[in-house]
Amino acid sequence: MKKLAVILLLSVFAFSLISGAVSAQDSIVVGVDAPPRTMDPYGSDADSNLSVMSNLFDGLLQRNTAGELLPALATSWERVDDFTWRFTLREGVKFHNGNDFTWEDVKFSLERLGNPEVSEFLAFGGNIVSVETVDGDPWTIDITTEVATPFFAENLHQIFIMDKESTEARNQGEIGTEPIGTGAYKLEEWVRGSYLMMTANPDYWEGKPSIENAEYRPISEASTRLASISGGTLDILQGVPVTFIDQVRNNENIELVTRPGRRSIFLPMTNDEDSPLADIRVRQAIYMAIDIEEIIEKVMNGQASPAAQIPDPPTLGYSEEIERLPYDPDRARELLAEAGYPDGFDLKFDGPNNRYVQDEEIMQAVAGFLERIGIRVEVDSKPMSIFFEEVANQELDFYLIGWFDGSYDYGRTFTQLLHTIVPERGLGGLNGARYSDEVLDSIYDVATKIINPDIRGTNLQVLNRLAMSPEKLAVVPLHYQVDSYATYRGRGINFTPRSDTWIVFKEISYDN
Amino acid sequence: MKTYIARRMLQGLIVLFIVSFIAFFIFQYLGDPVLTLAGRYATVEQREEVRSLLNLDQPFYIQYFSFISNAVRGNFGMSYVSRVPVARLIIERLPASIELAVAAELFAVVVGISLGIFVAAKPSSLTSKFFMTGSLIGVSLPTFMVGILLILLFSITINILPPTGRGNLVNLFGRWRSGFFTLDGLKHLIMPALTLGMFQMALLFRITRGAMLEVLGADFIRTARAKGLSSRIVLYKHALRNALIPVITMIGLQFGQLIGFAIVTESIFQWPGAGSLLLTSMYESDFPVLAAYIIMVAAIIVFLNVLVDISYALLNPKIRYK
Repeated sequence: MKKLAVILLLSVFAFSLISGAVSAQDSIVVGVDAPPRTMDPYGSDADSNLSVMSNLFDGLLQRNTAGELLPALATSWERVDDFTWRFTLREGVKFHNGNDFTWEDVKFSLERLGNPEVSEFLAFGGNIVSVETVDGDPWTIDITTEVATPFFAENLHQIFIMDKESTEARNQGEIGTEPIGTGAYKLEEWVRGSYLMMTANPDYWEGKPSIENAEYRPISEASTRLASISGGTLDILQGVPVTFIDQVRNNENIELVTRPGRRSIFLPMTNDEDSPLADIRVRQAIYMAIDIEEIIEKVMNGQASPAAQIPDPPTLGYSEEIERLPYDPDRARELLAEAGYPDGFDLKFDGPNNRYVQDEEIMQAVAGFLERIGIRVEVDSKPMSIFFEEVANQELDFYLIGWFDGSYDYGRTFTQLLHTIVPERGLGGLNGARYSDEVLDSIYDVATKIINPDIRGTNLQVLNRLAMSPEKLAVVPLHYQVDSYATYRGRGINFTPRSDTWIVFKEISYDN
Repeated sequence: MKTYIARRMLQGLIVLFIVSFIAFFIFQYLGDPVLTLAGRYATVEQREEVRSLLNLDQPFYIQYFSFISNAVRGNFGMSYVSRVPVARLIIERLPASIELAVAAELFAVVVGISLGIFVAAKPSSLTSKFFMTGSLIGVSLPTFMVGILLILLFSITINILPPTGRGNLVNLFGRWRSGFFTLDGLKHLIMPALTLGMFQMALLFRITRGAMLEVLGADFIRTARAKGLSSRIVLYKHALRNALIPVITMIGLQFGQLIGFAIVTESIFQWPGAGSLLLTSMYESDFPVLAAYIIMVAAIIVFLNVLVDISYALLNPKIRYK
């Protein structure tokens, strides 16, 4: 069925003709792959939702297209001590309903963030102890956290500030459908499953954005998304499926825009003592049996780059010194024999089939490589709702997963994915294969106590290097995804994709 | 007659209960909604807090009973994901679904029955043979393929019909957004309606043809012809009336499906109807929406079934007394 659809779409592109539709310079339509769920900025931590929120609301801080942290509702910030962060707030900002932005809105918002009835940011919100003014100055505030959180500020671009008065006065249904923020755009109309229209906020503190009317159009079906952009209904398309990359490249109407994605794809492995995977030679064998270049070329259609570690380059803790083990199936077979498995062994391989680009296909390819060195792999791919439950229940041995850290901090990644499971401290929550290594854990513990970001960065690099060293191989890294967009040619659209995949309309403009 | 209707209604209610139980039972295995709701980085404690807020820590039978007792009062709870009342979410989507189903049904009925009559009247003509072969394709082509072919032809190659959404809408009675009254709305409706109605059109065509051929061979038709009635009157007045009973049954039974389960068509054309809500809710393990939705569609289908049964009884007194 799927194959047939692919072939049909190929012919769609072969037939593709020039369309007559010309869009006005004051409006823009962007097709996205996932619909927003709610207009409550804390109601979803999915990037598809945060993307919309970033237009309607502001955080204390924001990130530009390159991922650099910049002032927004706060003009400056510093870490005072382990637990305290000081912010100077921007004066003269107004919410869409005319209310003034004050420190009480910040206090209210951050408290709301820890409320399990409305928030998906419980871990971050629950960690905030107090928000107080400094020496009675309403434009300087101190935020204290319960646990020392070195990456606190790094996360604030996705924590949006809400209006205290209107949020308290309205019920959750209204809050979830009629957002009142300080953002560059105001919500005009949201028809669930169909479109979301916004108009420029003339009083925006950065100045009115150049495009007056902006529209999100979620289109979940990949083939329809492509038809829409090649017919000119859309100006920008987010999420070009890798299977259609060549057709998009050859289509005269549209231009392919790509950037290295933040997300890496990798294979966590258990080190339970009774598992063959506990033997480092077996881990090396699995790593060396996989030809990542072939996966990238054949499965990812070239839209990926090899990874040697979990974090991506802008993340604190990324190390350039880590290199991939070479692809060497002969050596892999020897290693297996040395480890006492000359005839291989049986291995269950789990993963999602609707979460990452080509996830199921990658799993099939990996299984094929492992079969070649004698490991008999049983591939079990399933919908993500079921897969992530198994990860959270820590009942897997060997699986495929992807990750990028919204706070650009490898320390946080480590606590979730590789730290020994300690439920009461929230450690190892997504360590689905129960990986545990005392040495790595103790290096991490040191890192949490370091305030200076440079020293902390060095420490996290050491942690990362050791985790990926041939003596440990906490995971087998595969590749980084590439984010692909298409823009309609000839309309003079200036669009730079963001590292977080958000569509932020104030950053988009037309020529002339 | 009254007891007959009452009995059919009661049977319908029992079916609804069974459906709700099965639906609720299956959803236990659809994945854990708490994982997304507490956020990626939540601790085990925070997850458990969310779980107890949603009453998901209760045993199955308690969850089911509280669901049913609320549902009977028309309260289907809040969506886990969008945190607004479920009933509102579904009702919001219904106009789009109903308009699509009506348009698809209209297309299926008008084209299907006309072709059926034509082919039955002239079974050996070349055109008839062409239509018969065509109907086989209509029955066997999967919906997604019909949709993609239409997009290929009308949106890409000749670019006269838009591939997604509903276009300009008119607001009726303040809450019913209708695409029936604008040119743009109708243009958006054509391809989804053809896609959704294709299978049923082919089916109605074949059923009409079969029923017509059977009736046309009956004695009373021969008598009518022998009386010297025109072939037109014989065809429409005598044959068609008698052949329509199975056709009407089919229309009644399938209409509910068109409203509730147009999932593939809706996702191809990004039609903001109830089917696409069902699909996103499944991905997000949004149980309250799924449960309410399944029960609602089951209720529609059961209701249409009861209507069909009752109309049978009205048409044919023998059935009532069985």
